[in-house]
Amino acid sequence: MGFQSIDELEDALRAADYLPDRGLSTALYLALALSKPVLLEGEAGVGKTEAAKALASVLDARLIRLQCYEGLDVAHAVYEWNYPRQLLHIRAAQEGTLREEDLFGPEYLIRRPLLEAIDSDEPVVLLIDEIDRADEEFEAFLLEVLSDFQITIPELGTIAARRRPAVILTSNRTRELHDALKRRALFHWIGHPSIDREIAIVRLRVPGVPERLAAEAAAFVRELRGLDLAKPPGVAETIDWAMALNALGRKEIDAEVVQQTLGSVLKYREDVDAVQDETLSRLVEAARAAAATG
Amino acid sequence: MAAGDAILGHVVTFGRVLHEAGLEIGPGRVADALRALDAVDLERQEDVYFSLRQTLVSRHDELDLFDRAFSAWFLRAPVLPPARTRSAATTETRVGAQSDRLRAREAEEDGEQSDPLELGASGQELLRDKDFAELTGDELRRLRELIRRIARTRPERHSRRRTPDSRGDRLDVRRMIRRSLRAGGDPLDRPLRARKNVPRKLVVLCDVSGSMDSYARALLLFLHAVVGTGRGVEAFAFGTRLSRLTPDLATRDPDAALARCTEAVVDWGSGTRIGASLREFNEVYGRRALSRGAIVLIVSDGWEREDPELVGREMAKLARAAYAIVWVNPLKGNPQYQPLAGGMRAALPYVDRFLPGHNLRSLEELAAVLAGIERRHAA
Repeated sequence: MGFQSIDELEDALRAADYLPDRGLSTALYLALALSKPVLLEGEAGVGKTEAAKALASVLDARLIRLQCYEGLDVAHAVYEWNYPRQLLHIRAAQEGTLREEDLFGPEYLIRRPLLEAIDSDEPVVLLIDEIDRADEEFEAFLLEVLSDFQITIPELGTIAARRRPAVILTSNRTRELHDALKRRALFHWIGHPSIDREIAIVRLRVPGVPERLAAEAAAFVRELRGLDLAKPPGVAETIDWAMALNALGRKEIDAEVVQQTLGSVLKYREDVDAVQDETLSRLVEAARAAAATG
Repeated sequence: MAAGDAILGHVVTFGRVLHEAGLEIGPGRVADALRALDAVDLERQEDVYFSLRQTLVSRHDELDLFDRAFSAWFLRAPVLPPARTRSAATTETRVGAQSDRLRAREAEEDGEQSDPLELGASGQELLRDKDFAELTGDELRRLRELIRRIARTRPERHSRRRTPDSRGDRLDVRRMIRRSLRAGGDPLDRPLRARKNVPRKLVVLCDVSGSMDSYARALLLFLHAVVGTGRGVEAFAFGTRLSRLTPDLATRDPDAALARCTEAVVDWGSGTRIGASLREFNEVYGRRALSRGAIVLIVSDGWEREDPELVGREMAKLARAAYAIVWVNPLKGNPQYQPLAGGMRAALPYVDRFLPGHNLRSLEELAAVLAGIERRHAA
């Protein structure tokens, strides 16, 4: 599997510009060591999807992503037959005799993410994103695939994985997942990062950002998370915002520039409305003070 | 391998401790935990902690419990006992309600299981209109099956998923190709697919504070039956706080579930905090889109102790996400009732349907409303 210890994996992730906390490094390391899928849960924007990308990059593996949505079915997740091509073939063969095998061969198969991941010769990280959005029938099907790492296509037979992909599932917890699926996977909850780590992440992801600005932005977002908001900002928002502030050439924050750029941190109008005037000045002051002492 | 044996013993016992604390720990999990510990450096406490947590816990709301158990077991730190062990001592104080429930359960155990539907038509009619507050434990037991039947009707919505259906609206190309082979490539047969209906999400928030006690029992039977109809139902109880009830209702008998959650969410002597409970729901569960597109059923008499305005604000948030809001208020069963309580008045503008729910007949009405409800409020 390539990594002998958690430290080794952690160093590699850092080198790939991803700063995991110890818990996440452990989860990814165990996923590889135990060859088990890992389920990452947490608020939106804490870097669940990014973790999969980083893992693929350090493993030098291909990242195959299955974005889940309601109504996702086998035809879109696993495979589908290429009907236009089959029809053309039927037309062309009208004179001769046509056997069923001719029509349902690999050349008529459209391979979707799950089949791609199972039937691959190169190393693969399979990201099953937002599994909580798919419906329960699909979850049951997925459970089967993740137990056996094989897929049966009635016309072609069973395709078994020659090398097991590393599997990362993510969920925003819009609903509870099936126990059976959870039993199959390691579980890691990703919370918001500590202030130091968030500053480090911002400095890593926003090249050239002044240290002071990174610290103030992270501290301000932290203040926001303490409010009663519809959608508290995640790390992704902190990065976007720091990028915007940096692009404006700011070295530190003040009430005016926060006011102008608040839209890249808060995504709901009612949240933006809640952070105005005195609240806004108060948070800016608190953030500047925290950054100055920290 | 003495060290290995010691670890094995530790982990197995720890698994048992967690199991007793209410976590589901099967032998498979313990085996995973051992394999994980085998793969990491045992010198580093943090790594041991995460290895055990990631293999033994699978739900966010179990993390607290795990942390307490971990520090008690591996760090030998003094810990507060988990909340649920306290119940034995404190439930004693609620002698009235508790002994009633005990009596009902005893009656159930020794009384032969006569079909409650064989009550005789007149007896049934009487029960149907009797206020829940006036029911004896025995009568309530006899209502159980009737309540279950009522709860079985679930509102539906269109799924995005299509299944084969001869009256469908989309061509099933895969089947058509396959069948056309028999006819030498001509698509004589045109199989169709249609969207099917699936139950709409239902979220129930039930007030179990003192003023609701006599109704909560009957309504909880109803909830128990609704949760039994399948997935997509979430139930919560609230008083001064909010607590998720779904797992209890799915596995335990409704009386025990009610006793346990009342314990968790009600502070005796302090009133109901509807607004704060709704806010907790919106913050923790609404943010996870639990209420999005759902029918939200609130069961409460609308007595808000603290801040009626908060009730209004949180109801507005809830209404934006929900498909429809139904409020059941047992007091409405009284013809003289007027929604004067501040909390109730603040909530009503956001309520799509306002129903009594004080007796069996009104539960039937509720079931009918749930089955046929349409979104009425503006999004």
